[in-house]
Amino acid sequence: MKLGKISGYIVFVIILFLLPIFLTSSEYYLHVFILCGINVILAISLRAITTTGQISLGHAGFMSIGAYTSAILAMKAGVPVYGALILGALAAMAVAAIIAFPITRVRTVYLAMLTMFFGTLISLIFTEWRGLTGGTSGLMGIPQLGTISIPGLINIEFATKLPYSYFILVLALIVILFLYAIDRSYLGMTFKSIAQDEFLAASIGTNIANHKAIIFCIGCFFAGLAGSFYAHYNSVLTPDTFGLFPSLYIMVYVIVGGGKRFAGAIIGAIVLTILPEAFRVVKEYQPFVFVAVLFIVIFALRGGLVTLPDVIKAQIKKIHRRKAENA
Amino acid sequence: MLETQELTKHFKGLRAVNNINLKVDEKEIVGVIGPNGSGKTTFFNLLTGFLKPTYGKVLFQGKDITAKRPDTIAELGVTRTFQLDRLFHDFTVLQNVAIASRLHARIGFWESIFHTPQYHKKFEQTWDHAMKILQFVGLADKKDELARNLAHGHQKMLGVAIGLAADPKIVLLDEPCAGMNPKEIDTALELIGKIRASGKSVILIEHNMKAIMNVCDRMIVLNFGTEIARGTPDQIQNNKDVIQAYLGVEKHAA
Repeated sequence: MKLGKISGYIVFVIILFLLPIFLTSSEYYLHVFILCGINVILAISLRAITTTGQISLGHAGFMSIGAYTSAILAMKAGVPVYGALILGALAAMAVAAIIAFPITRVRTVYLAMLTMFFGTLISLIFTEWRGLTGGTSGLMGIPQLGTISIPGLINIEFATKLPYSYFILVLALIVILFLYAIDRSYLGMTFKSIAQDEFLAASIGTNIANHKAIIFCIGCFFAGLAGSFYAHYNSVLTPDTFGLFPSLYIMVYVIVGGGKRFAGAIIGAIVLTILPEAFRVVKEYQPFVFVAVLFIVIFALRGGLVTLPDVIKAQIKKIHRRKAENA
Repeated sequence: MLETQELTKHFKGLRAVNNINLKVDEKEIVGVIGPNGSGKTTFFNLLTGFLKPTYGKVLFQGKDITAKRPDTIAELGVTRTFQLDRLFHDFTVLQNVAIASRLHARIGFWESIFHTPQYHKKFEQTWDHAMKILQFVGLADKKDELARNLAHGHQKMLGVAIGLAADPKIVLLDEPCAGMNPKEIDTALELIGKIRASGKSVILIEHNMKAIMNVCDRMIVLNFGTEIARGTPDQIQNNKDVIQAYLGVEKHAA
């Protein structure tokens, strides 16, 4: 990486860290900031899965496994919240590892249907298992994140939304760095080779099912982590938060942002978290906002929002060339 | 080295490959010819694990590899190329060969995630290895081009490079000369000779008769999945059954 690019990233991260301070005036703005963080983790973890050519329409289901596991462990088993946070993510990964066997052996529309089925099944289980999850009325009074304190240095109490903003910001950055490292490594290249031609990849000695399972489990781990955080942040869990539509939304984040590039999913998640909030007054019509944006991207910007600067640059060049020809 | 015993594949009653017994020795080039639809590619798919035989066995170095997964078979030392231009089209030429060098590279999962010093060392070795393969097939000057932008002849050569990158002991080439001009065919034949000289065996499917006659030690002729002749190129050229299979029979049998 060039030095200019690195310093650019550093400036960007500093701005991100300053942002919550400017938003403190409104609890609502901070809430949207936190939602952005959660959705970014969901979107890039799903995007990681798509690099092997897989899709998942059940990502919110794995988020809910993290959320419920972490909440129940903290409420009913007395597990410390930070431990429960990790255990929630591990539970999501464990379930992913179990269903990876059928999932890595099907493709295209069959894979879409299978993941959709699993996602819906998971939320159905959480709805019906009333003794543990409170059914449709959900869980209430989930413990908040515990105080982080190093005596004499820092003492962070999770009483307001501000510390949550910083917690999710740091968490999202860690997830981004981890998945970026994979994306740029030989392993990441292998995933992309599988997406391009499975038969050719197998012929050179790539174990297709293993590779697909690995990234599926990693992706679901982070979905579970996002869910665990959401449970402790929101302190209330209801199963309808994790139905089919949220799963579809996460896929739409990736498509709208542009799944081919790493930054695409991040941009998609942020734009599509903030944009519908502008239409909050007509909450029932929010899906239409999604569909409208999706339409525009599919027909006018196939590579996703992340390619917008390139497209604009190309257009400007075209105009310049035309002017030069006319002159 | 590679041996098939009574290898048979049925597709819903159609005998695509029927009772093929073939033995390939070390450093040998064996040709497989036959009219279109005679089961040559199906035969390759059976050898490399892309299809499971209905009956029969495939042995490699005395070990039974029948119906093992393609990646396991590649790991043992049997690789193949494809008739269609199967490439990683979004990768550069060098990336194609580097990713195909995975069995040579042996980069572990955790190494790849945490970028250990070991990873960087292996990563560099992989790239060096890929570069050597590209020099071997004569594509070194095209290394930074996207695979999809290559000319057809070069794409074919890249396909061979991908097959060689895993350091196989035997490589199966499925019509490497298809669609090439005479000059390119000469280069390809020279390359096949070089592959043998480097100590590997080759099984070759080819439609270009002149090409295959020049380069093979032995050949086997398939028609409707069944072997109709085998022998040296000279013997095959003068075989009546072969000529009939290619040019048709004078009088149609009822």
